[in-house]
Amino acid sequence: MTDQLGALTTIFTEFYYWITVVLMFLIHVGFCMYEVGASRYKHHQHTLMKNTMLIPLVTVTWFLFGWWIYWAFPTGPGLAPSIMNESAALITDESAFSAKWYVPSSDLMAVNLGDHISGVFWAAFLLFSWTAASIVSGAVIERITTFAFGILAIAIGSVFWTIDAAWGWHFDGWMLKLLGYHDAYASGVIHAVAGGFALGILIVLGPRIGKFSSSGEPRNIGPRNPWLVTIGLFLIYTGFWGFYAACNIPIFDLGPEYGMEGVTYWTATNIYVTPTTLSGITMNFLMSLSGGLLAGYLISGKDPFWTYSSGLAGIICASAGNDLYHPIQSMIIAMIGVVVAYKLHYWVERKFKIDDAVGAVAVHGYAGVAGLIICGFVLNGYPSSGYSVGAMWVGTDYAPINPLGMFIGAIIMFVILGLIPGWIIAKILHGMGKLRIPREVEIAGLDYDMLEASKNDEKAVSSATR
Amino acid sequence: MATVNNWIDHLSAAEVQGAVYPGVGTEGVLVIIAVILWIGWHVLQNNAESKHMDEMARKRHSANDHKSNITDW
Repeated sequence: MTDQLGALTTIFTEFYYWITVVLMFLIHVGFCMYEVGASRYKHHQHTLMKNTMLIPLVTVTWFLFGWWIYWAFPTGPGLAPSIMNESAALITDESAFSAKWYVPSSDLMAVNLGDHISGVFWAAFLLFSWTAASIVSGAVIERITTFAFGILAIAIGSVFWTIDAAWGWHFDGWMLKLLGYHDAYASGVIHAVAGGFALGILIVLGPRIGKFSSSGEPRNIGPRNPWLVTIGLFLIYTGFWGFYAACNIPIFDLGPEYGMEGVTYWTATNIYVTPTTLSGITMNFLMSLSGGLLAGYLISGKDPFWTYSSGLAGIICASAGNDLYHPIQSMIIAMIGVVVAYKLHYWVERKFKIDDAVGAVAVHGYAGVAGLIICGFVLNGYPSSGYSVGAMWVGTDYAPINPLGMFIGAIIMFVILGLIPGWIIAKILHGMGKLRIPREVEIAGLDYDMLEASKNDEKAVSSATR
Repeated sequence: MATVNNWIDHLSAAEVQGAVYPGVGTEGVLVIIAVILWIGWHVLQNNAESKHMDEMARKRHSANDHKSNITDW
């Protein structure tokens, strides 16, 4: 950095992403509170520790290989050539945004005076990774082993969501070029994939003991601490501001970027480097939150757990196109997403005996998929990229946003990169006898011995005279 | 280990070296250590959890036994 304007732009961008990381940390705080509030007393401490330990596990693996995957896989590989090197192979060459710079032994993966952005961008994406893993965590509470969850958290947090981000969230991703995929604030690349992954695990894991009667009727195991649940969800809302901001590039000159001779156009952009405004997405965020809350309150009969979750589902459903929607469109889309998620949750629960303890598959998976499909219709014809837009299936060019491409994209997210890998890994862990805790432990409670030790401590202290 | 001994010399060089952490050039070894620590953690955690689960499962408590252990503090 040798000129003041360049330095200001760089350091502003560095600080901007740093702030998003701090805000997004609240998402994880919220998830931990929410899960503990939803779990029963005898499982509280294990529930908390299971979700907490995904932080180091996903962080270390994100450093070791997750970040590399994001930069290596935009081409598929083999599905569409990169606009940087015109090759459809993994992007590991000398080009500017190559994965070569993001292997864990690269000197850019450390304090480097020549690079003020990689680390904060790495961290912003890492916080997305925690979110993906934490979405899964809630669905499987009270019966999964911490070992199995750790493996599954790494799989979704450092592998599968990363692949989908490379495919559908990278400016060079093949899904933009072939499908016209557009998912500005991650309806699919975070929420649908994590929801699908959770569903794949739940199919193998099975319900909590007591969830279904002998005739197959589902029983309600409501949140044990509704106050913790609601504060947790409020914190997730708060963290989502950081999430939205982190999906943007705060300041960028699109003129030279798009090759427009003599044009200077400074703006904020979305993750695809197409223009939007932080101001506009703020309106859309709040209107989609409102739409979700309004619909959730009515459809759930003013149930606080579902009303709060519906606020989240509303944002998630509108997120794919919230860079361009009108705020009232955002609100309506959010309402539709909530109805879809709520109805599907109970239908799947009854029909397939799936015990999604916190409604994670519904709020993230179904609402995310609905959001992608709706986005295909509402943004039909918009360019998926600013670089160039051509016909669908050409491969070397970018297809415009379209309903069919978004529908296929939704299937890729929810089923191909979500449900199927979740099911396969859970099956392997189940085959090893490592997926589910023993029946006796589930009945007694994962915290039984901790509670017993605490009682003994209390007795010892209360009878002490000195 | 020090990569920088004098900031004035470092920053006034014709080409400023970006990497300033100690032990530049040993990144490969650090990565191997990180992988061993990561995998090792899973092994230790799995062993401890399996042992704990086996011990807990042998006791066969009922679903409400934990209530007698709820403390006042």
